[in-house]
Amino acid sequence: MNVIIVEQLTRRYGRRIGIEQVNLEVPEGVVFGFLGPNGAGKTTTIRVLLGFLRPSGGRACIFGRDCWRAGHRIKEDVGYLPGDLRLYPSMTGTDMLRIFGSVRRRDLLAPGRTLAEQFVLDLTVAVRKMSRGMRQKLGLILALAHRPRLLILDEPTVSLDPLMRQHLMQHIQELASAGHTVFFSSHTLSEVDRLCDRVAIVRDGRIVADESLDALRAGAKREVTIRWARDVNPRDVKVPEILEIHHRQDRLWQGSLSGPVPELVRWLDSQPIEDLAIGHPDLESLFRRYYQPEHAQE
Amino acid sequence: MNRGLLIKSLREVWIATMLFALALMVLEAIFAYVLPTFADQFSTFLLQLEFAQRMLQALLGTDIGDQIGPDVFSSMAWVHPVVLAIIAAHATILSTRVPVGEIDRGTIDMLLGLPVSRWGVYRCELVVFLASGLVVIGMGLAGNQLGARLLESKPPLAVQPLLVVVINLFCLYFAIGGLGWLVASLSDRWGKAVAVVFTILVGSFLLNFLAQVWPLAEPVSFLSVLNYYQPMLILRDGGWPVTDMVVLTVLGVGLWLAGGLCFARRDICTV
Repeated sequence: MNVIIVEQLTRRYGRRIGIEQVNLEVPEGVVFGFLGPNGAGKTTTIRVLLGFLRPSGGRACIFGRDCWRAGHRIKEDVGYLPGDLRLYPSMTGTDMLRIFGSVRRRDLLAPGRTLAEQFVLDLTVAVRKMSRGMRQKLGLILALAHRPRLLILDEPTVSLDPLMRQHLMQHIQELASAGHTVFFSSHTLSEVDRLCDRVAIVRDGRIVADESLDALRAGAKREVTIRWARDVNPRDVKVPEILEIHHRQDRLWQGSLSGPVPELVRWLDSQPIEDLAIGHPDLESLFRRYYQPEHAQE
Repeated sequence: MNRGLLIKSLREVWIATMLFALALMVLEAIFAYVLPTFADQFSTFLLQLEFAQRMLQALLGTDIGDQIGPDVFSSMAWVHPVVLAIIAAHATILSTRVPVGEIDRGTIDMLLGLPVSRWGVYRCELVVFLASGLVVIGMGLAGNQLGARLLESKPPLAVQPLLVVVINLFCLYFAIGGLGWLVASLSDRWGKAVAVVFTILVGSFLLNFLAQVWPLAEPVSFLSVLNYYQPMLILRDGGWPVTDMVVLTVLGVGLWLAGGLCFARRDICTV
């Protein structure tokens, strides 16, 4: 079952295009990474999903309900952390948990306190006296406390220290393994690499990639380092097409692999090599390629 | 009605409401104590002067006629510009909290991230607005009675006509609130919304003032909300200004509904 379905979604701001003909399907129980450079349309998509913006065309549904028409019903099972988080300055964390709990008609104080212990946050401090990181933690606690079926996080690790990022990652993984769905917008590729099952990349308001992370990894290049056992003449070596050598120094060759590893290993099996190192899929360069404007890719 | 939303709004407005209420209470107590004394010092001769009469008329926003009794001076306590400024400021601040106040400080993302409809939020704000208005105007009435009782030489005015005055004032408060909501629903910046409401109210006050001293302004005086709030007539003639109250209430309801429709249909942009 798909928790989020977005079909031909378009949102314009006057003559400027926010997003155009976006299609997305987010299945239940996955951590879905939503990536893109600044101004690509990530936040616009999220705001349409939350019913803050009315689509100019197409539709967005969560739990089978239209996000614009039934936004308030959908949000009973949605936890949301805005990218630009602003909280009520005069309230403490406890106040906010009480009030949000009262609005949601459930006790959020007990789960909120447990989360506050995990995130090391004093809930008795007023928001106006909190640092940015503390406010971010409180925002996360408020989004997580009711254990929503769908968690929408817009760049959640901004202003969190590495330890807290670790806690958040763990928490998201726990939620996902318990069948909850996480829609995760981020710039940090290591987080996406570690967390997400599926990734969509948005650029200039359009989806340019929507694949499982495994498929993306398979398509990503790997750094390969070969050390020959003896001096070889490059002209005598017939390098397969999947390997592009970009640096040669004596017996040390370096290149990038754009195909399956077994194919490379099979070829190297017949070659006089002394050592071989194959790196992890280089998602960063893959994403960088997607992030670049179309003309730059050409 | 969502209890959590009500608690949130009440928490945010109670300090401002109490400050406004106390200010109005003190002011009304002073007016109720001072104005009757002042009336004695106003000689009949002075009141024969056209200029003095005009100024009184302009202040009260209505024709005071030939007879100037204690009711004229008592009604000043309810039309004094500072009193009207307190009521208008409170109504404007509260009615522009949602949506533009929340949009301007960015908290609307958290608010509308909760399972509440926009109309639900809007209705809760109305309830809090009305309750706060009751407190402010009620404290004003209490102050007025307190001041009148401190003045032992004069018998205090009957409470019933004063109640009619404060109900009429409450209708005026609601109409100003309606304007505030409509402007707030169409705006993206809180300061701008307050400035627009303030400008319209000042224009309304000036129109009502000018209509008493400048005949050309009289035919359009019905455009001023203050045209439908005339405490002197209530205190002098008794009775209920039903038409005035209906006009203000219908205006308030109409503007509130229009604001609600705009809020329910608008985009929420905080970034």
